[in-house]
Amino acid sequence: MLSARALGTPLEWPEAKKNANHVREWGIEQLLAIWKRAKGKERDALRWGDEIEYLVVAFDEEKRKVRLSLRQADILRDLAQDAALREQGGCVPELQTVIHDGDAIPVFHPEFGRFMLEATPGKPWGIGFKDLLDVEPNMKSRRVIAKDHMKSNEYPITLTTFPRLGTKDDFITPYFPPSGERLRSQFLPDEIANPHIRFPTLAANIRSRRGRKVEINVPIFKDKNTPRPFMDPTIDFNLHKWPEDDDVRNGAAKPDHIYMDAMAFGMGSCCLQITFQAKNITEGRRLYDQLSPLGPIMLALTAATPIYKGFLADTDVRWNQISRAVDDRTPEELGEVPLKNDRWRIPKSRYASNSTYISQDSQLRKEYMDPDLVVDKDLKQRLMDGGMDDLLAAHFAHLFIRDPLVIFAEDLKELDLTKTDHFENLQSTNWQHIRFKPPPPDKDTGWRVEFRPMEIQITDFENAAFAIFIVLITRAILSFDLNFYIPIPLTTQNMETAHARNAVLDHKFHFRNDPLPARPVKINGASGTTTPAGQPSRPPTPTGPVSDEHSLMTINEIMNGQSQSHCQPGFPGLIPLVESYLNSVNVDVETRCELARYLDLIGKRASGQLWTGAKWIRHFVREHNDYEGDSVVSEGVNYDLVKAVEEITEREGKSGVGVEMFRAR
Amino acid sequence: MTKLILSTSNIMNGGPSIIRRPTSERSNVELINALRTNFLASKQAFAPITNGTPETSQTKPPGHKPQDIPYSMWTARDGDSLFIPSIEFSDSGLAEERSQYDITVKLFFLPHTSASKRCTHTQEAIDLVLKVLKMPSIDLLIVSFPGVSFDADDEEEEDEEPNWTQQSSEEDLNAMIDTWRAVEHLHKEGTALQVGVSEFGSERLQKFLQRTKVRPSVDQINVRDCCVVPKSLILYAKQEKIELLTHNDCTNVLPSGTVRELLGPGENGAAVLAGPEGREGLKGEIEPQWVVKYTAVIRDRGVIENKGYIAMAEISD
Repeated sequence: MLSARALGTPLEWPEAKKNANHVREWGIEQLLAIWKRAKGKERDALRWGDEIEYLVVAFDEEKRKVRLSLRQADILRDLAQDAALREQGGCVPELQTVIHDGDAIPVFHPEFGRFMLEATPGKPWGIGFKDLLDVEPNMKSRRVIAKDHMKSNEYPITLTTFPRLGTKDDFITPYFPPSGERLRSQFLPDEIANPHIRFPTLAANIRSRRGRKVEINVPIFKDKNTPRPFMDPTIDFNLHKWPEDDDVRNGAAKPDHIYMDAMAFGMGSCCLQITFQAKNITEGRRLYDQLSPLGPIMLALTAATPIYKGFLADTDVRWNQISRAVDDRTPEELGEVPLKNDRWRIPKSRYASNSTYISQDSQLRKEYMDPDLVVDKDLKQRLMDGGMDDLLAAHFAHLFIRDPLVIFAEDLKELDLTKTDHFENLQSTNWQHIRFKPPPPDKDTGWRVEFRPMEIQITDFENAAFAIFIVLITRAILSFDLNFYIPIPLTTQNMETAHARNAVLDHKFHFRNDPLPARPVKINGASGTTTPAGQPSRPPTPTGPVSDEHSLMTINEIMNGQSQSHCQPGFPGLIPLVESYLNSVNVDVETRCELARYLDLIGKRASGQLWTGAKWIRHFVREHNDYEGDSVVSEGVNYDLVKAVEEITEREGKSGVGVEMFRAR
Repeated sequence: MTKLILSTSNIMNGGPSIIRRPTSERSNVELINALRTNFLASKQAFAPITNGTPETSQTKPPGHKPQDIPYSMWTARDGDSLFIPSIEFSDSGLAEERSQYDITVKLFFLPHTSASKRCTHTQEAIDLVLKVLKMPSIDLLIVSFPGVSFDADDEEEEDEEPNWTQQSSEEDLNAMIDTWRAVEHLHKEGTALQVGVSEFGSERLQKFLQRTKVRPSVDQINVRDCCVVPKSLILYAKQEKIELLTHNDCTNVLPSGTVRELLGPGENGAAVLAGPEGREGLKGEIEPQWVVKYTAVIRDRGVIENKGYIAMAEISD
């Protein structure tokens, strides 16, 4: 979520750059203040929340065309007015039909794209198993409420990307021509982004810092009639409006790729993000580490992004496109030219998989750490002088190698240590696949971990299934003391692997062979029946070569378990681990049955008995009568596709459309 | 007669006992594996010290196979009880105070034990659990009677006689109610805040309820059946305010043959029982009496901090 903030005067890039150190230093001071205030925070309950992001589409039945609707602001205004009415005890009939008495009203937020909406539950979820049964109905009610505040031809869909974003026709309504001052995109108008000053500034400053437009090249899916080599036919090589129009003449667009040139192509994607509150900082750090290796697996398993800019892509997920869409690295930082003005080469975009482990855990071996980690040594030292330990200081000093992108002049006057704005400036523009979130200034919220890699699914049933699965796996991790550590570079590599078309079935991922902790060694009876009070015993640090600890596995093996062979027990499987957990706690029959539906869906997606969204969408396009085998997703095909997606959202495959994703034949 | 008290210690950090395929048949694999693992770990911990360092599995000198370590070194005798392995009550216990936990205890009565003995067993088992967890009370005590098994198919046609009524049901019910008195007692004295039963169909539940003073608030159904629980039972449970929970246990968790194998002199045994070549050990007929499973879950975080089993078997000297 990109949080909106009070208006101010944002600095244009050269000015912002000059103040970068200032913001970083104040940000570090604020971080130290937060850390000192909250490091002893204990016994916070599990609270968690999900974020569902929607694209708002508008159907034009007459022309058989579907466009993105840019009415985000109007819709949010109508929603806000309704919510206000309801709080005053007023009656809004259509709201009362979907919200039960006493339920908190969901919260809607703006997003980067002006065609997007985000909805979160009105209050966080707990771990009461009956709470879990409310998640799916709540997600459904959010969609109904959103729809109720749209025009009759508008619909909130949960596709990761709009298949024809950036095509030559009028794919948005109202229509604006491309090539504005902020984005300087030859495909998208500035009006595609949320007009709140923060968003266009973010886009413009990323572009300015980079010294050229962002560059997103997605490999084209080569079908039988796709031209070879494929040169993206939508590129205009003769534009001369902005200096950046030279980019394509300087080779920004790669052959055999779909080329895109603006932040909105990435940040206009919808994701399914889950945030958990940890008991304390120790548990938060542990969850951050343990969830990291699961990221690429869940990304491949939720794959739902096979189309960009009206073409079938040879990839199935959105991640790298967002990564490139906000990549503000300069040619020096990218390693394209020798370092001269910049401080270091940086291997990853600000939006990328994690590069740190932060848990003070005996199971964390130094061999797992990223050898390419870049940290700001001075800021790290400042944190350590303030009392922070090496691991955590390195994590934040790594996030702080970036420049702040949006700086408001008003905020530079005085350092306020009770606020977190400068810290958040950098923290919230480091979009890694797991985010470790210190408590905000309020007293109620604790240390949190956000799980960010999953793709949004077409239906709320699927979204609830994946959200709840992640919650349950965190409970299994903490209960069984599971250990998923693998070297960070392997997770980076897995993230790449997850992009391949049909990676979920066709590719293998590095994963830890044995996630179960070694039994603590008893010494002369000193260790008793249970964990000694006050000081939980930790499993010993593993020994032996790290390379023996992990191997390449299919997602089916990781999710459903490996078969046991004569001498190897085999990886037990994440779903069986969750079931083991559920068998050890009190769950009522109704909830367990519902959870079984979710686990069944996920298990069968992993085994291939059910299709991912990406596979279904690709199949839909290729089987469409109008498709010419040339990778092009035409306006007509797109219309039918989005119509089908709307139907699947409502019927979840029961009408036969999309059944391959829901019921095995 | 000696009472053998078999225990697993906390299995949550004893990785190997996690069931690999929990979705397969209902099973007592978890209990058996956990006992075996704990016996082995205890033996290794109590093994003779060489060169001042305790033996671990990595530094095992030749000549000290686990089978050779006399059981007296890693077990403890207390009156007529033999703890296998010995339990260090001083080290055990939950990390935080009582209010943080949801503690569930399931007591399995085994076949061939009388109702009167079961009353003693109930008290005995709960006392041990409280001692291990260092807690004054538990939240939920569920009792499981041998041979009682819910079958969703039986309930489908409601006018048909359910299976269990055909097998001298009156006697069964009397015995259960007699045992239930001990459960009610634990509830009344505040040791078990809630009490429940396992695998009861609606018919059995109905007859049972008529004769209880303290009503069960929980009925546990095997997870295998959780999606096919008949409407009749769901409605009845709702009406009687009984919560239907799921479990994954089998009713006869510890057959006597299994105990003999666990403690025997064989390859996978703990060598507590006398061996064929005159190796010292206990002799006599073994009869398992009860098994208790305890689980402590941190209430508002859903994290299992401690889970374990204790079993009691009698051996005639």
